[in-house]
Amino acid sequence: MDIRSKDIRYAAGTKIAAVVLVWICFVSAVWSLGFLFLNQEVDKSNSYYDSYRFKDEFSRLIHNTVEANIKLKSIENINASGGTVGDKARNIERYHNIKSRMSNTVNYLYYINNSSTGEAITNVAASQPKELIKKQPVNASISRWNWESKVDIYTYGGEIEEMLRGTEYEVYAAIQEPLKPGDVFYDDFKAYSRTKEIIAFAYPVMFVSLILLIIVAAYLSCVTGRRERGGEIVLSGVDNIYTDVHTLLVLIAAALSLTIAVSSSEPNDILTWVIPLLVLGVDGLIGISYVLSMIRQAKAGRIFKNTLIYNLAKLCFDKNSFKPSIILFLLGYGLINGILFDIGVDLNQGDQEPVFTILLIVFNTAAVYFTARALTSLSKIMNAAKEISSGNLDYELNSSEISVAFSGMATNIANIQGGLKKAVEEAIKGERMKTDLITNVSHDLKTPLTSIISYVDLLKNEELNNERAEEYVNILEEKGARMKQLVEDLVEASKASSGNLPVNAEKVDLHELVLQACGEYEEKITEAELDLRINAEEKNIFVYADGKQMWRIIENLLLNAIKYSMPQSRMYINLTSDSNYGSFTVKNISALPLDIPPEQLTERFVRGDVSRTTEGSGLGLSIAQSLTALQGGKFKIEIDGDLFKVSVDIPLWAE
Amino acid sequence: MDKLNVLVCDDDKAIVDALEIYLKQENYGVVRAYNGKQALKALSEQQIHLILLDVMMPELDGLSATIKIREEQNIPIIILSAKSEDTDKIAGLNFGADDYVTKPFSPLELMARVKSQMRRYTTLGSMPQKSSVLKTGSLELDEEAKELRVDGEIIRLTATEYGIMLFLMENMGHVFSIDQIYEKVWNEPLYSAENTVAVHIRRIREKIEINPREPKYLKVVWGIGYKIERY
Repeated sequence: MDIRSKDIRYAAGTKIAAVVLVWICFVSAVWSLGFLFLNQEVDKSNSYYDSYRFKDEFSRLIHNTVEANIKLKSIENINASGGTVGDKARNIERYHNIKSRMSNTVNYLYYINNSSTGEAITNVAASQPKELIKKQPVNASISRWNWESKVDIYTYGGEIEEMLRGTEYEVYAAIQEPLKPGDVFYDDFKAYSRTKEIIAFAYPVMFVSLILLIIVAAYLSCVTGRRERGGEIVLSGVDNIYTDVHTLLVLIAAALSLTIAVSSSEPNDILTWVIPLLVLGVDGLIGISYVLSMIRQAKAGRIFKNTLIYNLAKLCFDKNSFKPSIILFLLGYGLINGILFDIGVDLNQGDQEPVFTILLIVFNTAAVYFTARALTSLSKIMNAAKEISSGNLDYELNSSEISVAFSGMATNIANIQGGLKKAVEEAIKGERMKTDLITNVSHDLKTPLTSIISYVDLLKNEELNNERAEEYVNILEEKGARMKQLVEDLVEASKASSGNLPVNAEKVDLHELVLQACGEYEEKITEAELDLRINAEEKNIFVYADGKQMWRIIENLLLNAIKYSMPQSRMYINLTSDSNYGSFTVKNISALPLDIPPEQLTERFVRGDVSRTTEGSGLGLSIAQSLTALQGGKFKIEIDGDLFKVSVDIPLWAE
Repeated sequence: MDKLNVLVCDDDKAIVDALEIYLKQENYGVVRAYNGKQALKALSEQQIHLILLDVMMPELDGLSATIKIREEQNIPIIILSAKSEDTDKIAGLNFGADDYVTKPFSPLELMARVKSQMRRYTTLGSMPQKSSVLKTGSLELDEEAKELRVDGEIIRLTATEYGIMLFLMENMGHVFSIDQIYEKVWNEPLYSAENTVAVHIRRIREKIEINPREPKYLKVVWGIGYKIERY
């Protein structure tokens, strides 16, 4: 039961219902309050005749009656009276106005009697007008001697009294009861009665609404932002608006609604009520959403942190994004500029020396100069970063040329550079250590190998008289030679791949090189029953390379081809060049099927035949590749069925 | 004539033993030493005509020993070393060694080098110099007799090979491309991509060089041409 009630209290449906209820209560409370406030005069008066509207209207009519019948009398009388033409015209117009107004009244009764002449004027048709008037509950009888009225007619009292002074007239006026429809009194009376009825209804509505509002609002402020009792504060989308901005927006909305409400206060119009009610409704929603949002944020303790001002200040004074000094500089710059500009403009109007204008120009020129210097520093730093990223780790950023604003950045870049340099140096050191290790090991292997080779040779020269022993010696000799080759290739491969070989690059003719190399291996090629074809597009292809290393590359390729080519097949060497590279390609047909990917062939110790029984160290292609790379060239192996193709591109010699 | 004595100096006794066998087969007397100090001592005590010297040895290494020996004597020194880099070879030769052989060496090649150095040391210099002889190191080309001699031994060459050698030795130290050599020797321009010249030069090297892969006289300048080294 407890759990269920908890669920209901924190359920979204309940909250929405509560919001709607609060909204309705708010709207009705404000509406009823406003209504009571606007109609407080009606509320306070006991009856229609007690209301200000009635008193005003009634006393004006008495005034009109007195003015028209006693002061102006008739148009002839006005014309006969002395006075300017203007006065007469005004009086005539006034006379007509009064007459027309009087004729529009139904419920107003009057009777005027001159006690000296017996003259009597009335709008009452009955035979006894004076008595009829006196019988009405609201009546007044006025003369220079007598002032008697059931209601307060002081609005125009002074003027009436003025007009009656020195005359013998007695004025009787009344509003007939009950009121008949057809004039302003009847309409006003109806409106008054309706307002009275609504007031009687508005009070309870107001009280109930207020009480409900307080209760439900208290409930909402407790549960808003929570999914369960004591749970985490869950913020909604509205809460992402900065609180100060939100407040400002709500205030603007309130001001706007007030303006609308005030501007549309045309009485007795349907829109008079509809528009403010609509505005009120919308305001109510905005207000509730705002208040609840504030409550949620207060609960989450971020009402202050979520202000735009706080965030701006944080941004400005957070050391990681901006230095406070820069903000102060900017503010100071604006301030000084403003002051100088103001003073300059003021003084120029007075035709004085434009000292401040010059100061303004000087100040701004200085500002532009320092900014430009700072930007130059930035571009220097960017340039340094570019150099470093392209691998120039020795690029020096002159920190004395960097402005204060970017000195931290420059230091950081220098640190990154240092770190990188250290890493690269360590990598190089590691690689060198590896090469050194291999070299040292190979030295240690070479000494015993010397003995082995020497003694095998000595043994070979001995008379063994034993066929098997001779065969064994031959095997030993062959393996000794192989081991020698292996050790030498191992050192070379490790040096080539670690870039630990000096490159003495010069102008080398690829064509010459290929002919020389083929000359060296002529016999071996013939021995292997291969038909070598050299195709050259041009006679000389000059490349920028180390001739000795080029020889090692081509030698390895030739040896490879001789070793693995199918006997009685053709082997091609093509020489070509393009705009950047001179290339030679060695093509041969493999004796054995090649079922390994080309890239694996250049891995150390990988050979086309997995059994590793034939001569060779398996390092030839790897060495050739490393040496090519060392000279800025490109090494590519292609295998197409049994066609084995290696191409080596070397940068062309540039004069 | 007394036996020619060779001082063999290596800290690996097995190598010294083997070298002794080879040297004795060639009728040389052998003096043994196992480090630089012993070598110097032996030199001061006996008549030595050639030294085979290892580099990495205890007490006194081969290079330091070479410097010490050269302060007093002019006998041929052949360095035996496991270090095979160009820089090591150049250092050894600069310190005064006459030859540099890398381990593991072929015993036959080493013996050829020993013989070559020994001949140069014992016989050359006393030979009368003819004006018609082109000479570098112990390589001589006698234009009159149309002979090529290495360490005094006549080398059999074909007419073309002799032509090539004549051209190169007349322009000692100069590098000539295959084209230039062909035009000069064959007396006609080279049209197709031919390696005839290269093959000939390889054959000449096999005849005149102890180790054709590391020639002393007829050198390959890769991608440029060939030359005869001037000594």
